[in-house]
Amino acid sequence: MAEAFLVAKDLHKSFNDHKAVNGVSFTIGKNEIFGLLGPNGAGKTTTIRMLSTVLEPDVGEVTISGFSTRQQPDKVRSIIGVCPQELALYEELTALDNLTFFGRLVGLNSRETRAQSMANLALMELEQRAKGKVSKFSGGMKRRVNLAIALMGHPKLLFLDEPTVGIDPQSRNKIFETIQGLRTNGMTVLYTTHYMEEADRLCDRVAIMDGGKIVAIDTPRALKAKLGDPDKTTLEDVFLKLTGRSLRD
Amino acid sequence: MKRALIIALREVKTYLQDKGDLAFSLLLPVATFALIYGAFGGQGLFHGTAYIVNEDTNGVYAKQLIENIEAEDSLDVELLFLADAERKLERSDINMVFLIPADFTDKLRTGQPAELTFMQRGNGGQDGQIVASIIRGIVSELNQEFQVRGQVEQALVGKDVSPQKITVTTWQFLERERKYPLIGVKEVVVGNKPNTVNEFLPGIMTMYVLFAISIGAAAIVEERRLGILERLLTTRLTAGELFFGKFLASVSRGFVQTFILLALSYAVFQIFTPLSFLTCLLISFIFAMAGSAIGLIIASVARTQDAATWIGVFVTMSMTMLGGTFFAIQKGTILYTLSKISVNGYANDALKKIISEGGTIADVWLELVVMAGVFVVGLVLSRLLFKAIPQGK
Ligand SMILES: Nc1ncnc2c1ncn2[C@@H]1O[C@H](COP(=O)(O)OP(=O)(O)OP(=O)(O)O)[C@@H](O)[C@H]1O
Ligand SMILES: [Mg+2]
Repeated sequence: MAEAFLVAKDLHKSFNDHKAVNGVSFTIGKNEIFGLLGPNGAGKTTTIRMLSTVLEPDVGEVTISGFSTRQQPDKVRSIIGVCPQELALYEELTALDNLTFFGRLVGLNSRETRAQSMANLALMELEQRAKGKVSKFSGGMKRRVNLAIALMGHPKLLFLDEPTVGIDPQSRNKIFETIQGLRTNGMTVLYTTHYMEEADRLCDRVAIMDGGKIVAIDTPRALKAKLGDPDKTTLEDVFLKLTGRSLRD
Repeated sequence: MKRALIIALREVKTYLQDKGDLAFSLLLPVATFALIYGAFGGQGLFHGTAYIVNEDTNGVYAKQLIENIEAEDSLDVELLFLADAERKLERSDINMVFLIPADFTDKLRTGQPAELTFMQRGNGGQDGQIVASIIRGIVSELNQEFQVRGQVEQALVGKDVSPQKITVTTWQFLERERKYPLIGVKEVVVGNKPNTVNEFLPGIMTMYVLFAISIGAAAIVEERRLGILERLLTTRLTAGELFFGKFLASVSRGFVQTFILLALSYAVFQIFTPLSFLTCLLISFIFAMAGSAIGLIIASVARTQDAATWIGVFVTMSMTMLGGTFFAIQKGTILYTLSKISVNGYANDALKKIISEGGTIADVWLELVVMAGVFVVGLVLSRLLFKAIPQGK
């Protein structure tokens, strides 16, 4: 693994006595695509919220590119981009206005903002709809805007919390290509998903979480190899073996 | 600070671009004003209906009384049967009925005191009270007439004088009395007639500012629910800047709205001088700041958008009613004491002092200080309560 870009040490977070995250540690290498997998309620989103400085861990430390999320949250924020699990954007604004707004807030001047907004919309193949109101967009288009916003300011580390949920294969493939392209250009990515074949295809390493803890962490191939022939086993087999078949609330 | 401005500018831009929002925030106050104007403006003089039950159907004096009431410009007469009148009173269709008893004329003719009955619900309602006092005036004039007539008859007793002569003499006495009354009333008109525009405009304007601010507060709660506020905090925006940006947005929104309404009334009613216009803008600005601080408290305590909307409606309506927007609050009542908490009351008073009393900023400093106080206290409180993320900052 390349030099560590993100280091999470022994993270804990409870909500009214419920332990959402219970002792999570991992590192993400520079320029790596790291998958965070786990059933519903495993604690993936809570972990990302702590990594991205919006939630303070009860216990534990996070450093990103050497900056502590507790002591230097502003430094951390200047190098991260977050694409939340839920669509967090202004539906009454146009796609372009959404990107412009966030662009200004990540510290771009108006010229950079305009250039990056158009570039990111083009990357998501939304340039034709730049001036369209987001409320009129399809689910897949909204997801693409949600991701495009996270790219404003060229973050060094991108958090993607289930960016492909509920969209068609076309939009999903577009998002895939984009992530791979971004990595080629030097970005580090933390990616969560419920689609195991997605993670298998995309991620250099994955951590499988359950009940607030990491139960396995390795390359997809190594995880599959532990179960049998890595060419015949799927990551889903590994996932189900490790997290069991019972339903989660 | 710059980022707080970005937050505020985005919202103001959205408000100005959203034609529906803009139209509502301007047309609704205008429509409300038009309604109020229609209800209270225009007809400057009182006009009411006297509901009368006449049981003395053939009595000449009853007839005369009713004729005298009909002769009154400000009153219409509606005759009812007793059963109808009682039913209408029961249903609160009317609040006051005047009953002329069957023996009215007979008693007066035989020199006994006759009695009118005022049947009323509660205090008879404001209109009812006015009608009643007009009727009392008419009755006391009639009384006078009967007394004079009685005295004339007594003075002429035993002499051979025709009743016509008595009537004529009585009239002559009364005419003289009316021409040269011992206590006269002179009406002097001072200044303009009471102006509905000046009276209601400030209250309606400040009411809609609070409505607009409440809608803004509900929008903040929704942004929190959608995770937009949280997302904003992953940019370089700090929680303090976010708070301040939302405050600025709310102030601008409220101020832009009052600015346009004041400018409209400047153009339409010509109630301003350039200086009084500027003073009113200053009052509106400080009011928008106080209101926005209250709005941010609502945005901080409400868990859902609906809760925020309802709290906002409640606050707006209480402040509006207590602020004397639709009815004057009498001194010395509990309501009057309560009305001191209405920030709208101070804004309305200040605006009225400037618009209708020709006051200057020196006359409204107290109101300005109170509103500024509400703003400071409200802002500190809301900053302490405000959270962008439910369990976080
Ligand atoms: N704000 C909150 N208040 C109370 N409980 C919470 C809160 N946020 C998360 N939880 C609980 O913490 C646990 C972990 O939630 P989290 O959202 O991190 O899971 P997740 O792995 O992202 O799940 P999903 O795959 O459904 O997105 C869940 O049991 C959830 O109910
Ligand atoms: Mg999640």
